[in-house]
Amino acid sequence: MKTISIKKRLVALAAVAALITGVTTVVPAQAADPACTTASYVTTCVGATSDTAPYMFITTAAFNGTVLVWSHGLRPNVDIPLGIPGYGGYKVTNTPEPAPGGDKAIITALLGAGYGIAGSGFSRQGVNVQQAVAANVELIGIFKKKNPTTKKVVAWGASLGTLITQTLAEKHPELVDSVALVCPATAPTDALISYFGDFMWGFKTFFDPTIKGFGYSAGAAGYAEAMGDLVKFFTALGKLQAGLVSGAWPDTSSAAGKALEAAKVPSRSALTLVGLMAGVPMRSEHIDGTSGPVGSEQLFPLAIAPAVAVLENAGTVGLAEILLMSDGEAQAGGIVFDNTKTDYAARVDADKDVYTMALSGNTAIEAMLGVLGQSPRVTASAAAASKVKSLLSIDGTVKHPTVLLTTESDQFTVAGAGQWMIDGYAQQYADAKAAAFKAYQASKSYTAPTNNLVALWAKTGDKYTKFTAAGSPDLSATAGAGTGHCKYTPAQYVAVAKMAANVANTGKFPSGGPIATAARKVGLSYDNKFRVPLFRTLG
Amino acid sequence: MIRKNRRKLISASAVIAAGSMLLAATPAQAAEQGVSATSIKLGITIPMTGIASPGYNKIPGAMKAYFDYVNANGGVNGRKITLVVKDDQYIPTLAVAKANELILKDKVFALIGTLGTASTKAISRSAQLSARGIPSLFVNTGFSGFADKKAYPTSFSILPSYQMEAKVIGKYLDDNYAGKKIGLIYQDDDFGVDALNGFKQAGINFAIKVPYAAGSQGVAGVAGTWITKLQAAAPDVVILFGVSSATAAALGNAYAYKYAPKWILGSVGGDATTLAASKVPPAFLAGAKGLSFAPAPSDSADEYIKMFMDVNTTYNKGVAFDNNIVAGMTSAFLAVQAIKAAGPNLTRKGLMSAIEKGASTFANPALTPLGYSATSHVGATGYWIGTYDATGALKPDGGKYTVYTTDSGTGPVVLSNYKRPAMPAKGLPN
Repeated sequence: MKTISIKKRLVALAAVAALITGVTTVVPAQAADPACTTASYVTTCVGATSDTAPYMFITTAAFNGTVLVWSHGLRPNVDIPLGIPGYGGYKVTNTPEPAPGGDKAIITALLGAGYGIAGSGFSRQGVNVQQAVAANVELIGIFKKKNPTTKKVVAWGASLGTLITQTLAEKHPELVDSVALVCPATAPTDALISYFGDFMWGFKTFFDPTIKGFGYSAGAAGYAEAMGDLVKFFTALGKLQAGLVSGAWPDTSSAAGKALEAAKVPSRSALTLVGLMAGVPMRSEHIDGTSGPVGSEQLFPLAIAPAVAVLENAGTVGLAEILLMSDGEAQAGGIVFDNTKTDYAARVDADKDVYTMALSGNTAIEAMLGVLGQSPRVTASAAAASKVKSLLSIDGTVKHPTVLLTTESDQFTVAGAGQWMIDGYAQQYADAKAAAFKAYQASKSYTAPTNNLVALWAKTGDKYTKFTAAGSPDLSATAGAGTGHCKYTPAQYVAVAKMAANVANTGKFPSGGPIATAARKVGLSYDNKFRVPLFRTLG
Repeated sequence: MIRKNRRKLISASAVIAAGSMLLAATPAQAAEQGVSATSIKLGITIPMTGIASPGYNKIPGAMKAYFDYVNANGGVNGRKITLVVKDDQYIPTLAVAKANELILKDKVFALIGTLGTASTKAISRSAQLSARGIPSLFVNTGFSGFADKKAYPTSFSILPSYQMEAKVIGKYLDDNYAGKKIGLIYQDDDFGVDALNGFKQAGINFAIKVPYAAGSQGVAGVAGTWITKLQAAAPDVVILFGVSSATAAALGNAYAYKYAPKWILGSVGGDATTLAASKVPPAFLAGAKGLSFAPAPSDSADEYIKMFMDVNTTYNKGVAFDNNIVAGMTSAFLAVQAIKAAGPNLTRKGLMSAIEKGASTFANPALTPLGYSATSHVGATGYWIGTYDATGALKPDGGKYTVYTTDSGTGPVVLSNYKRPAMPAKGLPN
């Protein structure tokens, strides 16, 4: 199944950049009418908003009056040196993205269905919700001006783009008719910061205390520190991978880590604990957590698999922590993560039995928690912590029909964020229902509230791990369904977009049957009874 | 006359139409999942294969046999009970997947008899039982936490807690082995923590404690190290407080090392037929002490055991009758009464409420009181202690059950004067 990986997205973005170069010779430097070209009944317009955010929108001669405004996910706001997994060699770009990853199949499908598509590259990258919302507000106005037959606007986005989209819908409800949130990062700011911060703090505490992780310097010095952290982090990760079976600790480990090693606590147990206390998924693209190689059908999933899953997920989590935290701190003016009051023992209490062998039993767990208990904590700057909320905060209110697509084992935007939206809406719906009953008692006329949230899931399969002939998990095999960050097929993106576009026009979702059928056709699940745990910090 | 009737019909149609409009306009209550007019679907996930499966894999068959017996006699409130069985191999993450399968694909009404502290905890958290309001009936673990309604609002225990068991063993040691050196092998998780808490309250000081991480008993050479540690410390009495596979590994290695202290086997790992299936000769158990809260499987004079034996013969192909069969049928027996008590309009809430309100007085084989109430989901509350004979049968000392009861807190261990409810006619709910 074709999915859109981070690498493919970057390649696709380059193609979009080339397209822009091809269709226009002059991109306006700031707000002005867009430059448009039409070929074969397809009109492509490019321009820049008043804060220089480049944008692109495309319509066809058969434009049906509905436009989908896409908000892309996190792009680092600094160049990343070669050699860093995932983003190595990345150069900061604000190439506009009118559809997920600039994917041609998605663009073709949406244009073919008569929709218009639009998207910006935003004026800044990194933590950019405020700038992105402002760009989208302008973009919607520009699109409508250029396409006066526009009737409906669908706001959609992925990952960090869901925070942009949801913020747009909350702050400018009049501009939006429906919303689609794909791999949602929709959670309270504290929970998001804590997820990444807890992981990195635990990681450095055990495996390399020279990693900064927090409190980066301003300017070029801070950039150097962050890039240095990336190298240290991935170096330690490589050493952990090498020591998975033997239990050896990285030579960069802290004194406390080395003491644990001397006490025969394997490094994989500490890595598993760090994953658990942060809430990193215990299943990853190649580790289902239940399979074992021949001869180790039970021992592997019980003892080794959780650490391998954390290891596979950790690259994204650690990288994101360093990039987001350094950028967030720079914008907020100080440290934004605070774990001075975090009870990590309580965090893992419910799961320590579940992963007891991977954690090497209670005695080892107590020793590891003892290390965490005695290690210096990180204290946030009150002003910075307050400011960062203004940069990222959403309240999660569903004001428009909303389609949510969540991956059960997403290591970046963990599924608990989607569940937070679902739970919040359940309360919102219950309140609306109670109000309707109250109104009914007075008027004797009952109007049931309309359901405004459809939650689709990419569920993780039970068994998908493949093993090599030597009995190691094959990390180059096809990734399991319902794993990884925003790894959706073009057909899945299109299905979500069409669902959101339909409801923008009808004002009401169809009944469950057609939704379930549409979801099933593209390998997704619509199941109101399905639940995942919330973020660790939320319960 | 005709006109009048016609007017009546018109009038009735109007009422019906108005009623229909009202029904259409107000939210209807959905039918409870897993329940139809003629059936109730329950689900169990349990190790049917793998290291922890011997013995425990007989529990679903025993439950199903009792349900079949009830079904053959008309079912419960006109409904027949089916049981969907999944194999989780004693891997908690797999147990979660299987529980989700039971809930989402098989659409069971309730879970029953999930086995193992870790798996049951994992299911509760990851399958979100409490948020979904899904009952988890009579879990096969003695972790005291599952009796805590606040922590696990939809879970109900049946086994006495490990803490209770440790307190009862503590009293036995105090009465019979005061001043002797005591050793302990225990599972290094909440199973073991519960036991350690109980032993602490009983004032037991160990000469040696050997923890093992759950699952490590299956790693070559690990159990041998337990025995060498015990030999070095030379305790007079050794308590084996683990699952059957750990008990078997310990006893097997002790046999190989010619190590023979006085053994006390915790109830979870003390079933002789299970140990025999793991190649522990029954004779090796002779003289060891063991505990149970139900009558001995060999006690065919007991009305419940006799009825269970008959059901086992007719509906379970007469598989070897042991503690696992008794445990499975006891859970099924209680479940049937709870379903009956919940009434014909069966809902998950109604079922849980019926257990809270009435299950402490339900007929059942347990020789100790059941502790269910509006505030507690504790099941049986004590043990009798007996001795294994050369055939591996655990028999009460002195030929009669001397039952001790206690709690999972600081309460004392006292002799029980509990009078067990008589079995309903034919072992069917009234």
